[in-house]
Amino acid sequence: MSTVSTTRAPARAVRTTDPRPRKSKRRQVRERQWPAYVFLSPWMIGAVVLTFVPMAVSLYLSFTDYNLFDPPRWVGLRNYQEMLTEDPRYWRSVGTTMLYVVVAVPLKLGLALGVAMLLKNLSRGRGFYRSAFYAPSLLGASMSIALVWKALFNDGGTVAGVLDTVGIHTGGWVGNPHLAVYGVVLLTVWQFGAPMVIFLAGLQQISPDLYEAAALDGAGRWRQFMSITVPMLSPVVFFNLVLEVINSFQVFTPAFAISGGDGSPADSTMFYTLYLYERGFTASHMGYAAAMAWLLLIAIGAITLILFRTSRSWVFYADEEGR
Amino acid sequence: MVSATHDGFPAAVGAGRLRDKDGRLPRPSRRAVLAVAAIGLSTSLTGTLSACSAASGDTSGVTLRFSWWGNDDRAARTEKAIRLFEKEHPGVTVRTSNGEFGSYLQKLATQAAGGGVPDVVQLDYRQISQYAGGKAIMPLDGVIKNRTIRTSDMDKDFLRTGTYKGRQFALPMGRGITGYAYDSAVYKKAGIPTPRPSWTWQDWAKANKKIAALGLKSPDGRHFTGANDGGGNEDVFETWLRSRGKNLYADQTKLGFTEDDLTAFWSFLSTLREEGAIAQARDSVQAKSTETSPIGRRLAAADFTWDAPFPGYTALLGENIHFAPVPTTGGRQGTYFKPSMLLGIGSQSEHPKEAAQLIDFLLNDPRAGDILGFSRSTPPNREIAARVAKSLEGSEREIYDYSQTMEKYGLDIPPTAPPPGDLAIQTAFKRIHQRMIYGMATPREAARELIDEANRELES
Repeated sequence: MSTVSTTRAPARAVRTTDPRPRKSKRRQVRERQWPAYVFLSPWMIGAVVLTFVPMAVSLYLSFTDYNLFDPPRWVGLRNYQEMLTEDPRYWRSVGTTMLYVVVAVPLKLGLALGVAMLLKNLSRGRGFYRSAFYAPSLLGASMSIALVWKALFNDGGTVAGVLDTVGIHTGGWVGNPHLAVYGVVLLTVWQFGAPMVIFLAGLQQISPDLYEAAALDGAGRWRQFMSITVPMLSPVVFFNLVLEVINSFQVFTPAFAISGGDGSPADSTMFYTLYLYERGFTASHMGYAAAMAWLLLIAIGAITLILFRTSRSWVFYADEEGR
Repeated sequence: MVSATHDGFPAAVGAGRLRDKDGRLPRPSRRAVLAVAAIGLSTSLTGTLSACSAASGDTSGVTLRFSWWGNDDRAARTEKAIRLFEKEHPGVTVRTSNGEFGSYLQKLATQAAGGGVPDVVQLDYRQISQYAGGKAIMPLDGVIKNRTIRTSDMDKDFLRTGTYKGRQFALPMGRGITGYAYDSAVYKKAGIPTPRPSWTWQDWAKANKKIAALGLKSPDGRHFTGANDGGGNEDVFETWLRSRGKNLYADQTKLGFTEDDLTAFWSFLSTLREEGAIAQARDSVQAKSTETSPIGRRLAAADFTWDAPFPGYTALLGENIHFAPVPTTGGRQGTYFKPSMLLGIGSQSEHPKEAAQLIDFLLNDPRAGDILGFSRSTPPNREIAARVAKSLEGSEREIYDYSQTMEKYGLDIPPTAPPPGDLAIQTAFKRIHQRMIYGMATPREAARELIDEANRELES
């Protein structure tokens, strides 16, 4: 080590006596940076071509009437105006999506935390159970699982059959506008594996000393959960909450498969993104669809911001300790 | 897209990196959560919209692209006819692509947006106005005039279905007609006479009540009704409307019916549904194919359908199923001959002459006619239809005879191609009807909603 540094020192000394004028500091920085940009370029080209350009085009299209055949026609805020004031289906799709988010996210996170708590204290087979519970998350986004789900909840399907034998006559959930959305909710909740694994990792970070001390002070299990687990886990809860909310607003595949792509029956599974897809690709109103996409982005951004604001009062961060 | 971010997190921490001195993972900091949230947000726009483009190439001789939709039987017959065409036109190669109807429409729309509509393209009746108006397909008046495409053996009124603003843009490939598939054994048991071409909607209502009164049960023990509820089917409404002397569309931007018309139609059906004479909401909502329709599940005695899919009903349910006309209003028929599909030429085609020759071959060559048969409903060329009909039997014979009967009975002239918004209005019809039968709207509220939505589609 030391030999290297000693041989280097004279080399530097030679450089300072170089007759060429010294490069400006800024230029030096630029020279040192270019390899970084070369290595970053695949990502940057991808980001520009596949993300920023399409986003800019979609922003432009959202102010036009574009049916794919005729060139886009500038209509200003007409799409936004129609969406917010004239289209009852738009607001129904907002309502359906909100209902879905409000029901599915707490259920999914609750289940994930519950199972993670059970697995935490498991001494044997934890790896197996963790994988088993995580598996649905890997399969969940696929079309085939959604189709199997549809078959389960169809009229004459397994779920209707089992409920019939215990005296609850629902018929098929898929064909019932009051129940169809809960079929999609259950499909989402079933994929609780991803947040569960994160909860499990978070639970393992909590020092056992805290529980020991609490137990010595006579705290029961519930008291330990509320006073140690919840505050220590709060950043993880927050992380999962933000991700699940963002994901849930964008639910598409299960609703597409279960409804056959048209939000049926009676628009009961017409989630925001599905309606966006229908407007764009079935009804050929690309401008309207683009406007919907932008309002969705703004809405999710706003909700995420609100979550961050409220988080100040309930999330306890490790890096703020002792403040 | 977003789930990748989500699933990537536990994989990274689980791999054992980032552990602190006690061997534990640090809890995510506020900044880390913020960063992940930002990534999740930025991906919410991309990935929603994507497109694909068509490939092209091959310079030797003339290469025609021909795309259509349909099942395997139709595909095999079409390929066979095309090989015969290639044999007779040396130097011309036809490259084909086909797909399932729903995805075909979307793929074609994307191709049209990029100016890449194939040389010869099979189109749905509802696409004609949009493709002709958007200059995606070219007018055919020239090639018809110089007899590259012969239309002398086709019905003039029927050819009108391929026109847009007075010019011929596409030629019908098959002639379909609506009808009514019913179980003759149940009709006999209920003492209902065989439906004649002049039977009325009142006769139909009475027949359904008689069948319901028989007290039959379906295989799963439920009440057996007279027919499927046709209220969500735009075709049935159109037939009902035309039998009262009105049309779905007055022109390309205006509806031809009023809120009162639609309210009357939906109220009429609602009364029957509430009496248990026609299929209940949960059953008509699930009807998406022959198998899942109330008649297919043996929950009802009849269903509204088209001639081409009718053989599927007898194949599933047996020889008791027969084909009858849709009811009339005072003997006036509302049904008409509709193109089951049409052929057009892409406006960017470099070989419009050869494309026209291929169309003429498919429509007018007797040997092509023999190969294609009735795979796209009755051929529009009368000579070929009569020639092919000689070999028909069973349910195919029945629908051919039916269309002959209806031709003699006298039908009103078909309307010109529906406006571009019809595709959206057709699905709105089904959806708003579902809202109504589940009690989320009265017939009048539902009718008002449909008309509002249709007007928005037509004005844009």
